[in-house]
Amino acid sequence: MDAFSMGLIAAMGALATVAGASEDIESDVGSQSNPNSQVQLAAQVGNPHRIYNKAISGEPPANALWCATAAIVAYTLITAFQMPALMALVAGASVAALFNGVFSMSAYFGRNSSQARFNQWVYLDIVRYTTPSIMAHAWITSFCIATISYIMVYMLPTPHPFPMPIIALIWGLAVGAIGSSVGDIHYGGEREFQNRQFGCGLNTMLSGQIVRKAEAGLRNSIDNAWFCTKFGGPATGMGFGLTVFLDNWRTTVFDPVTQATYAILMGVFFILVEVAYNHYIERSVRRKYGPYPEYKGDVAA
Amino acid sequence: MMFDETTIIYILEIIVGGLLVGVGVHFVPVGGAPAAMAQATGIGTGTVQLAAGSGLTGLLAAGLMMSVTDNIWLVLASGAVGAGIMVGSTMLTGSWIYAYAVGVPFASAKVTYDPITGFSQPPYIAPGTVGHGIPTVCYVSGLIGGMMGGLGGAMIYYALYLINGNAALSAMFAIGIFLVNAVIASWNIQGTIEGFHDPKFKKWPFAFRACLIASALLALASVFITGGA
Repeated sequence: MDAFSMGLIAAMGALATVAGASEDIESDVGSQSNPNSQVQLAAQVGNPHRIYNKAISGEPPANALWCATAAIVAYTLITAFQMPALMALVAGASVAALFNGVFSMSAYFGRNSSQARFNQWVYLDIVRYTTPSIMAHAWITSFCIATISYIMVYMLPTPHPFPMPIIALIWGLAVGAIGSSVGDIHYGGEREFQNRQFGCGLNTMLSGQIVRKAEAGLRNSIDNAWFCTKFGGPATGMGFGLTVFLDNWRTTVFDPVTQATYAILMGVFFILVEVAYNHYIERSVRRKYGPYPEYKGDVAA
Repeated sequence: MMFDETTIIYILEIIVGGLLVGVGVHFVPVGGAPAAMAQATGIGTGTVQLAAGSGLTGLLAAGLMMSVTDNIWLVLASGAVGAGIMVGSTMLTGSWIYAYAVGVPFASAKVTYDPITGFSQPPYIAPGTVGHGIPTVCYVSGLIGGMMGGLGGAMIYYALYLINGNAALSAMFAIGIFLVNAVIASWNIQGTIEGFHDPKFKKWPFAFRACLIASALLALASVFITGGA
């Protein structure tokens, strides 16, 4: 291990944190994920809305597509046209963002026009000013992940044997999985249902009753992104940043050729610390929030 | 290359890897869309999504290890640990959101007491939901599942790499075999599962049989196509 490779690992961790945050905000501003089931349901139960709606694919495959596209374009420009790496990565991310724009707009038109019978409109102003924001976030995600792949293949002391696009595909799947598991809870569990009592899950009776009014005027997806940027996005970034940083840190600090066992034991140690931390959170929230007052069963609290 | 006993061992390794993925998916506590609204226990995403995200992160770690050594135990352990780190970080940061943004205690609706910590569950379930958050039993189950997925992916990759010596080709086939087994298992799960304490977990033998057949066919195909036999 030397200072340069340690710096690269730190840069990868930072890029991954940014990628995770932008991925989550991209899915919140475009409403592409599990919480979108409520957005989709809202019009059907009589609540037409002005929320963007592009959930025609799960987040992991969609992000795998954009990240792999960015990496393929960058890889081609670097190897076939000898373009400087940074320029090639920027060009790759731009192509990925264009893919994202086509995906988002066709999804919005398709999903909302299919709900015409529920009085759900296709709002052209929403398309005009929300789509560029979605594309911008997709650009950041795919740029960061293509750069991580570039560092792993070309710059680390132990270069990764997979080609850049496959690494970007796998990290794209992973960032989508994390964004869908972490940040979307903030959007679905909290932001969509601020009209109910705080501190409980969504009661099944309230399904589809999403909040449609904003601080001023009608709520749209930009308002949702503003809210989710405060916690859901950064938490997703932490999740993906931890994954990339811890996974690569252990194989950089401990040389995989001579100290492979230490690298694996270090990974096991990280996992045990995470189990203990989760258990701590569980105990502390049980203590602070206490049981629900409506509970009248016979099991001791 | 002849269709000799070495090739048969590689094919068996791919089948075992596929089975590990198929059974491992049953351990991952996924609540699907309801969990994203804190309406069901587990992680708020789909089965395949999380299993693929973690297992393939393990594949990256295994691929790196495979490029410097051909010791199978190191490659497999590296794959399992890489996947464990990913699924562990995901569940941990997901817990932050449940605890500090949605403000719910963690509770499972499938058991009265957490089998690991012994905490009572029903008093902490919000009315109108079937649990929320990631209790310790779900966390441990998710780690087991994620690590089994990483182990399976690493085993498939290991066998394929020894057959054809091409990292990119082996990785693509490993991703494909991984996803097929994960999808078969999630049909068996039908959307949501909380982990090994969930009554649905008892259905795993069905997925085991289906994954056995699928993995055998895929193993043969991938060995022939990628340059074996």
